[in-house]
Amino acid sequence: MKRPPRPDYVLRQAWLLVRASPWLAAVSSLTIALALALVGVFAMVLFNASQLLHDLGRSLTLTVYLRENALDTDIAAVQAKVRTHAGVKGVRVLTADQDRTRNTKLLPAELLQGLDEAAIPGQPVIEVDLNADLGSRADVDTLSAWCKSLKAVQSVEDAEFGAEKLRLLFAFVEIARTIGLVLTFVLLASAMFFVFSTIRLSVFSRKEEIEILALVGATPVFIRVPFLVEGVLQGLCGSLLAAGLLGLLHLELLGLIRDVHMLNLSATLLPPGMIVWLVLGGPLVGLAAAAVSVGRYLKV
Amino acid sequence: MIQLYHVSKRYPNGCDALNDVTLRIREGEFVFLTGASGAGKSTLLRLLLVMERATEGQILIGGRNIHVLRDSSVPFLRRNIGVVFQDFRLIKNRTVFENVAIALEIMGLGRKEIERRVNQLLEGLRLIQRAHSPVTDLSGGEQQRVAIARALVNEPAILLADEPTGNLDPELGHDIMQLLIDINRRGTTVAVATHDAYMIEHYGLRTLVLHKGKLLEDRPRVSVRPGQDVRPPPSPLVYGSPLAMQPPVAAAESSLASAADPDAVEAP
Ligand SMILES: Nc1ncnc2c1ncn2[C@@H]1O[C@H](COP(=O)(O)OP(=O)(O)OP(=O)(O)O)[C@@H](O)[C@H]1O
Ligand SMILES: [Mg+2]
Repeated sequence: MKRPPRPDYVLRQAWLLVRASPWLAAVSSLTIALALALVGVFAMVLFNASQLLHDLGRSLTLTVYLRENALDTDIAAVQAKVRTHAGVKGVRVLTADQDRTRNTKLLPAELLQGLDEAAIPGQPVIEVDLNADLGSRADVDTLSAWCKSLKAVQSVEDAEFGAEKLRLLFAFVEIARTIGLVLTFVLLASAMFFVFSTIRLSVFSRKEEIEILALVGATPVFIRVPFLVEGVLQGLCGSLLAAGLLGLLHLELLGLIRDVHMLNLSATLLPPGMIVWLVLGGPLVGLAAAAVSVGRYLKV
Repeated sequence: MIQLYHVSKRYPNGCDALNDVTLRIREGEFVFLTGASGAGKSTLLRLLLVMERATEGQILIGGRNIHVLRDSSVPFLRRNIGVVFQDFRLIKNRTVFENVAIALEIMGLGRKEIERRVNQLLEGLRLIQRAHSPVTDLSGGEQQRVAIARALVNEPAILLADEPTGNLDPELGHDIMQLLIDINRRGTTVAVATHDAYMIEHYGLRTLVLHKGKLLEDRPRVSVRPGQDVRPPPSPLVYGSPLAMQPPVAAAESSLASAADPDAVEAP
């Protein structure tokens, strides 16, 4: 007869273990909650930053400035070269006159007063609408390289798409990711250590009980499972706390976005997969730490 | 039921606790295990429970050689052997009910079934009123009855007791002994380690005498029916209790069962 322990028995015993040292359990749960909340915050920031960068990449404009003396054939050649690139959505050509008119519109009227038409700069321009898939700084570099190859053309004076700004944004995201990873690692490690220590104390305090259980014929699984569930319960509390904290933050942020409407953040501040991981994360961390502790200290 | 062939036990510190012991305890028998302190009584019981492994020799329980028993099978062997200690070994922060129920919880039985069986037994042992008290609130004699209830609740074929009366005053000790004898009358093989010479004399049951790890003497049961004069009738403790109406199921079902032993202590 090899039946598993009854779930209600295991849960009750695990709950009694938690209750026997409520402060330790609380500290363990809090550190797990803190670690997970931090993961959540960084995930939020990074998720939205990369959304933003993707959006930027989808509506990117590359401007190719041609020399004033460029001939129509030169312009056509550059245009043809540009079109060979993947991700080009549209190409607009502005003659020198059209460019001048546009620049005129851009300048304030009082500045234009008494100004000679010819003094306003104007040169043939090709505006390229790009749909670039910007995932990392390397993608910006690839685009930059192509931009450079355009600049190498004789009739092209300059070509640019704001690469520097994009690089800076990516650098910020990378720094945030590194800080997030390090902090998460440190906090998760300390959370695991807290759970590990709590379970170890639990095992020591139940030394006699463990011996008795073994003597009356309990299997090692039967003896161990309540301690593992104790770890899972601590993790679950941590997860729920973290979820609560992130939920509040989420509401705050959504409110803020509604106020400052120009921010182009997606309505789901967290990817759904991440939410699942945050909820599962606590119990998993608790289980892992408890398993290490039980494996080391619970000998039957 | 229990057979030892040239069993020796040397502890890691070099102490020879048992030395070439050969003996046989038949199903349904009641034996005392006696000898001076350090003679090896507890060691013998520990070997039967596989709390220790014999250094040499073979031990058969219900025909199974426990020398070759895998560690993972030990819990299942222990479920067929109830055990009672001098210091009771109850779980301190649990109630009487929970302490007895644990022997069934480990088998994964359902809540209802456990309640039924534990309450029935506690009733028979006059412990039902204390069922939901913490065990530490009970007197020594009551605690030992709880320990016996735990040992019996899954109806094992064998009951081992290591100085079960050692911590009790003589009167309570007598009660406990009477209970063990009643249990034996219902078919359970019982072995009791004790150095209480008076007790051994009083009951006149088969007695194995150990001396410095050797089996010195195997005194058979006093052949004149001792129950008539020496022993009082079955105590009201368990008489008429559910135990009396049901033969030990575990003994009947388990692989440990074999032919009934003629030497069993008969009810008068
Ligand atoms: N775990 C152990 N490690 C080393 N030696 C032990 C251990 N347990 C018992 N011994 C030794 O083995 C011998 C037999 O001990 P055991 O406990 O079996 O005696 P006993 O007959 O039960 O004695 P008592 O009547 O005092 O309970 C003793 O000399 C004891 O010192
Ligand atoms: Mg002893």
